[in-house]
Amino acid sequence: MNLRDRHRSAAEIPTSSMADIAFLLIIFFMLTAVFATTEGLEFDLPEDDPTQLDVQPEEAIHIKILGEGQHVVDKTPMTLEEMGGYVQMKMQQSPDKPVIIQTEPNVPYFVMIDVFDLLKYLQVQNISIPTRTEIERWKAFGIFE
Amino acid sequence: MKPHRIRRIVPVIPTASMADIAFLLIIFFMLTTTFSPEKTTVELPQSEIRTEVPKDAAIIAITQEGIIRFTDGERPSFALGTAAELGPLTQEVVRFLPDREFVIKADRMVRYELIDAVLEQLRLNGAKKVGLLTERKTGGGV
Repeated sequence: MNLRDRHRSAAEIPTSSMADIAFLLIIFFMLTAVFATTEGLEFDLPEDDPTQLDVQPEEAIHIKILGEGQHVVDKTPMTLEEMGGYVQMKMQQSPDKPVIIQTEPNVPYFVMIDVFDLLKYLQVQNISIPTRTEIERWKAFGIFE
Repeated sequence: MKPHRIRRIVPVIPTASMADIAFLLIIFFMLTTTFSPEKTTVELPQSEIRTEVPKDAAIIAITQEGIIRFTDGERPSFALGTAAELGPLTQEVVRFLPDREFVIKADRMVRYELIDAVLEQLRLNGAKKVGLLTERKTGGGV
């Protein structure tokens, strides 16, 4: 007489918690993910040689940034749009003309970036961003005011 | 008469493909996550023209409060007291990793004075190429 239960349950791997684990991992990666910005504006710094001047300031377009929307280009106050037109006109005459950006110390950084971006947009090749020490040196040479 | 037997089907939400979707998302996040040594959150200025800067560049982060943080691109970033402290660090990078680019990741509202001080230190200590991180300009032209 066979009294043993012949009913066999099928073998299976419990996967019901798989989704829970997976969502836990998703949340972890979503919270730790930092979408890094790796794009921007590039320029070359001049070498530090006090005896040499890389830019001839008297030949350059001189942009002085005094504040948001307050730019003085070659001693004439201009808006960003006017500056664009002026620089474009000068570039057509001599494409290698250097452009010097001088920013006042208390001006927010983005104002300078706006001007720099405009010059890049106009495909100005020779952009110079002198530091205050360099400007002082140029002043000492008597070729910058 | 034998009453008609009503067979009820138990309502079930099919969840079998849930794990597949979830793992797909995991793989996406694993592949897109980059572990950068510089994690300071700043509101970058916006620009129309943007060029790719190298991912392993030395980063100088400047927060709106004026705190300067530095990383040579390999070690995690750390805060500096003044911009002048950047001098020896720049020299070190220029000497040992001559091809390394320097990137300034500054908040859009930072006073230009600070950027100037950082650029001055970079220039004096032999840095050649500098990048200014920006965000894509949204809406409106130049």
